[in-house]
Amino acid sequence: MVIASNDKDSLNGLLVIVSQGQSRNPEKRELEDAIASLASSLPNTVGMVIPNLYDLGNDSQSVAKMQQWKGPIVILSWLFDRAAFWVLDRNQVQGKWAESLLLNPDLVNEDEDEKEDSEDEKAADRVANIAVRPNRNIYSIDMRASNSIAAFEEEFRRILQAEQLDAPKRDLLSLDRFLNPTNTTSLSMDGSGRLDILTNPPAAHESPLGIMPLRVDEHPARRWYPVIDYSRCTNCMECIDFCLFGVYGVDRGETILVEQPDNCRKGCPACSRVCPENAIMFPQHKTPAIAGAPVDAGGFKIDLSKLFGAPERDEDPVAAAARERNEQLILAGRAAVAPPVVTSRNKSESQSTDSASETNELRSKDELDSLIDQLDALDL
Amino acid sequence: MSDSLSFMMGDFEAIIPCDRHYAKNHMWAEIKDDGLVRFGFSAYAVRLLQDVYFLEFSVEPLADLQNRQEFGNIESKKAESGLYAPMSGKLIRINEQLLEDPSGINVDKYGQGWLMEMQGDASEMLTAQQYIEHLTLAWDVAQRTIKGQANTTDSSEE
Repeated sequence: MVIASNDKDSLNGLLVIVSQGQSRNPEKRELEDAIASLASSLPNTVGMVIPNLYDLGNDSQSVAKMQQWKGPIVILSWLFDRAAFWVLDRNQVQGKWAESLLLNPDLVNEDEDEKEDSEDEKAADRVANIAVRPNRNIYSIDMRASNSIAAFEEEFRRILQAEQLDAPKRDLLSLDRFLNPTNTTSLSMDGSGRLDILTNPPAAHESPLGIMPLRVDEHPARRWYPVIDYSRCTNCMECIDFCLFGVYGVDRGETILVEQPDNCRKGCPACSRVCPENAIMFPQHKTPAIAGAPVDAGGFKIDLSKLFGAPERDEDPVAAAARERNEQLILAGRAAVAPPVVTSRNKSESQSTDSASETNELRSKDELDSLIDQLDALDL
Repeated sequence: MSDSLSFMMGDFEAIIPCDRHYAKNHMWAEIKDDGLVRFGFSAYAVRLLQDVYFLEFSVEPLADLQNRQEFGNIESKKAESGLYAPMSGKLIRINEQLLEDPSGINVDKYGQGWLMEMQGDASEMLTAQQYIEHLTLAWDVAQRTIKGQANTTDSSEE
């Protein structure tokens, strides 16, 4: 903490964090590395590569390192941008949501004005408006937004300009202290933590810090737990009442929090379905609406679940949540319980489904024959 | 009797060996000498998935599964799906090698790329011939499912 707590006017520069994907997709790895190298080559910018952000736990060296940073942050991940922002927030890496212009083209909401209006209307009762976050910007970018490194560079330079960090050689001291902590008040990454830093940067480079991004050598196991979007959460306590596995708790200010994330049942998204505000995300869930995508946004991959045996279901979100919870109770060797009485419902999800299936029906009447051959050409 | 049958998926020929049974969710089922039923993905399923990058089980061995209960996820370059139990029974063993590197599914789907072993009643499984008939009937639905998603931006499944 001490390292980066500089004077107000002393700028830290920009920290660009690349959160690696869980899967072994070589194209993803390539893009991750290219983005991190790019970031490290920009003025006043530190690039950092971490394992999948969502999997990091309390003892994570990556989290400790990120917590030291007090300046603006860009977080790039394979999660929806909103999910990544709130995972950081949960890990005490907090700030103000700042709009990135690099958006996934599949997710751009055409009714943006309308959406903002309705959010303003209800702004007063949101937890985030009561527990105010630090006044630094956090830009969250979904790496699915582009596979063009030029697009990322353009966005990073725009952010540097917006943060008044585009001029070279500003406050190098604080960057250097972040990269090379020396005193005892700092968290040393040597020894077990193994922060891999190149301390002799090439002189000719635009960034005096060198082109090697920080990499923390840790390999966390996959995790599964809910992430709360406090800009939506109204502290209504539906989730704590619904979950029977002791995941939720409240802090000293009686605000809901994910207190025991690892009590959560792997694969179970039930509490997100009972949340009246769509504030609970499971960033790794395959349904975009649950993983933190904007409402009504699309997915990126063909979902074969129905072909691979997913039961045909005609149930509302509350019924689905009750069923999923019972499946988990039985797996845990406990007794199933009766469905809850929930007054408010997660409407948007069920509505969008109805219109979607109609659309599919209409569009699927022609040109079926060459379909599988076209699959290869689809770049989803 | 030939060693295998085949099903044409467009120009792609999915080979369906006759030495084992099949579940309707496109897993093959092989009853081993110890009585356990070993499951893996059929050529049809692997063709739909293509390059598998990610496989995850949400249950541990010895879990009791109901038929069609979701027990994990699979993700490939172009597609993703939940994993659904091909029958009711007890999950006995998971192919640990696939968890290390799920591309084994692509490399040797009918052999080393097996998925899991279960204990239970496999009498409902289809023969290769019955599975081919099932594929023929299901092909239009499969194409519609994929085509519909590919053409729209919505993939909600609930």
